[in-house]
Amino acid sequence: MTIEMFEKPLGMRDDFPLIAKQKAQLRKQGTELIEQAGYELLQTPTLEYYETIGKISAISDDALFKLLDSQGKTLVLRPDMTSPIARVAASKLLREKMPIRLGYYSNVFRAQKREGGRPAEFEQMGVELIGDDSLYADAEVISLAWDILKELGVGSARIVIGHTRLLELILADFGLDAEQSGKVRELFVAKNGVGVEQLAKELPIAEDKLASFLKLMQATTVADWKLWINEENEEQRELYRDMERLEQLLERNGLGDAITFDISFSSHMTYYTGLVFEFYGAGSGFPLGSGGRYDGLMEQFGLQVGATGFGLRVDRLLESVTPEKTEQPHTLILFDEQNEQYAFDKAQQLRNSGKRVTLQYAPAVKALEPFTALFTEVIRGEELHNG
Amino acid sequence: MDELTIAMPKGRIFEEAYELLVGAGYDLPKELDDSRKLIVEAPNEKFRFILAKPMDVPTYVEHGVADIGIAGKDVLLEHDRDVHELLDLGISACYIATAGLPDTEMDEVTPRIATKYPAVASHYYRSKGEQVEIIELNGSIELAPLIGLSDRIVDIVSTGRTLKDNGLVEYEKIADITSRLIANPVSYRLKQQRITELVDKLREQVGR
Repeated sequence: MTIEMFEKPLGMRDDFPLIAKQKAQLRKQGTELIEQAGYELLQTPTLEYYETIGKISAISDDALFKLLDSQGKTLVLRPDMTSPIARVAASKLLREKMPIRLGYYSNVFRAQKREGGRPAEFEQMGVELIGDDSLYADAEVISLAWDILKELGVGSARIVIGHTRLLELILADFGLDAEQSGKVRELFVAKNGVGVEQLAKELPIAEDKLASFLKLMQATTVADWKLWINEENEEQRELYRDMERLEQLLERNGLGDAITFDISFSSHMTYYTGLVFEFYGAGSGFPLGSGGRYDGLMEQFGLQVGATGFGLRVDRLLESVTPEKTEQPHTLILFDEQNEQYAFDKAQQLRNSGKRVTLQYAPAVKALEPFTALFTEVIRGEELHNG
Repeated sequence: MDELTIAMPKGRIFEEAYELLVGAGYDLPKELDDSRKLIVEAPNEKFRFILAKPMDVPTYVEHGVADIGIAGKDVLLEHDRDVHELLDLGISACYIATAGLPDTEMDEVTPRIATKYPAVASHYYRSKGEQVEIIELNGSIELAPLIGLSDRIVDIVSTGRTLKDNGLVEYEKIADITSRLIANPVSYRLKQQRITELVDKLREQVGR
């Protein structure tokens, strides 16, 4: 199949001026909040080694854009921001200054295999808080994400929170071995309730516990989780206390009504070891972003520290946010040879006073009427000349 | 009360699902399906039905233009869409199986499989450790072995009548199929209460 001149690779998009403008606005609002919360913005390379970031990123292999460098090493276009930032944080430079707060606004790349409707390149904005394994760190990043969603005006925003480790312990208490528990978690990630019900029949779950097992996908509050907590297991007891504390902290920060605590909520991102969460809002059929605690990822870079963070998808935020329709004043000055100097001076003067001015040589415009219609004010050169 | 947009396949599945919803106590207008309209409203329950091709239901739900939908497990297996599978409605039961001419072996060098479900067929034979060539057809799959296009077919079997009438026999069963209630992951969170209520009511109906 020959490629037509206007075509772009699958999933690649042009940002026309209106979208580019909305994105710039969104970026400004978001990164401002991130910086206010004490995070420092950074930028990592677009290209990374497949051997390091490519493998660690937990993005499936066939979603990676791969290419070769001049030595024949395989490179990837960065598929996420969390792993590059973990690499940066683990580098010698930053190790001593833990905990560190890093934020980003970057494009990431994920190849699409199916039809359209999904971008293969999109911007993400988010933060990573590295070197703090306390609950306060988790509450901080969740609250910050929430503040950004509110600031951007996302309607009916919701957060779903789960806990990978606690779920693992609870599943073990139902008598499941690692393999069975893995299968259940896979179904949880796919949110396949029917599959869970069918699988439950084959699992060695005591009959009196079956009903409680099937309720795993229905919890909405931390209190609901109590049903599965084995008080004799110290780790479970402590993790559950943590969740209660987290609920309190988030409630205090004003997020109470917006959170669903779903113990079955899991992520396909395998590096999340503890708390996991996802954000939703009206207007987009896809999650707006996600995050969680990924202490295990830091370990891969040789660092035994806690880390937590979130990433929001700018393309989906755009669907969720109704842009302000305020028309920006934009002046057009049309000139020709006779009044060129007047026009130029006027433009400088208006621009200096903060106005947005387009200076255009009139004879070069083929259709004057549709062109001038794009502006809120039109000044003609002859007017300047005469006045 | 939030409005729920429900994507439904036209035809028999729609009728069975309609019965289930009415049985669950939902106040739906009579004869929703008799027009050529693609969108019909049930204002008393704040439902909006999108009438779609069965294969397309999970697509609408995945993109969130429908909150929930009713889709055959065959379609879900084939397309692997990111949707919640909430409930087995138990309607339109059938299964996917392999079939072919009686007493035949698959070609050893290039075994060919004709099917409407290329992903399901490919996954099945790979899991058996066999490399096959998949030929995608859109209907009348039973023709393929009869005219020498393929060694086997992978298709839906409900009564087995079509196979028999065409002199084909079933070889292996791949998966049981029923219709499922599916939900968009975001809708499920934003309208969780309403959707859970619907699931509970329907579950009672299905259990009968």
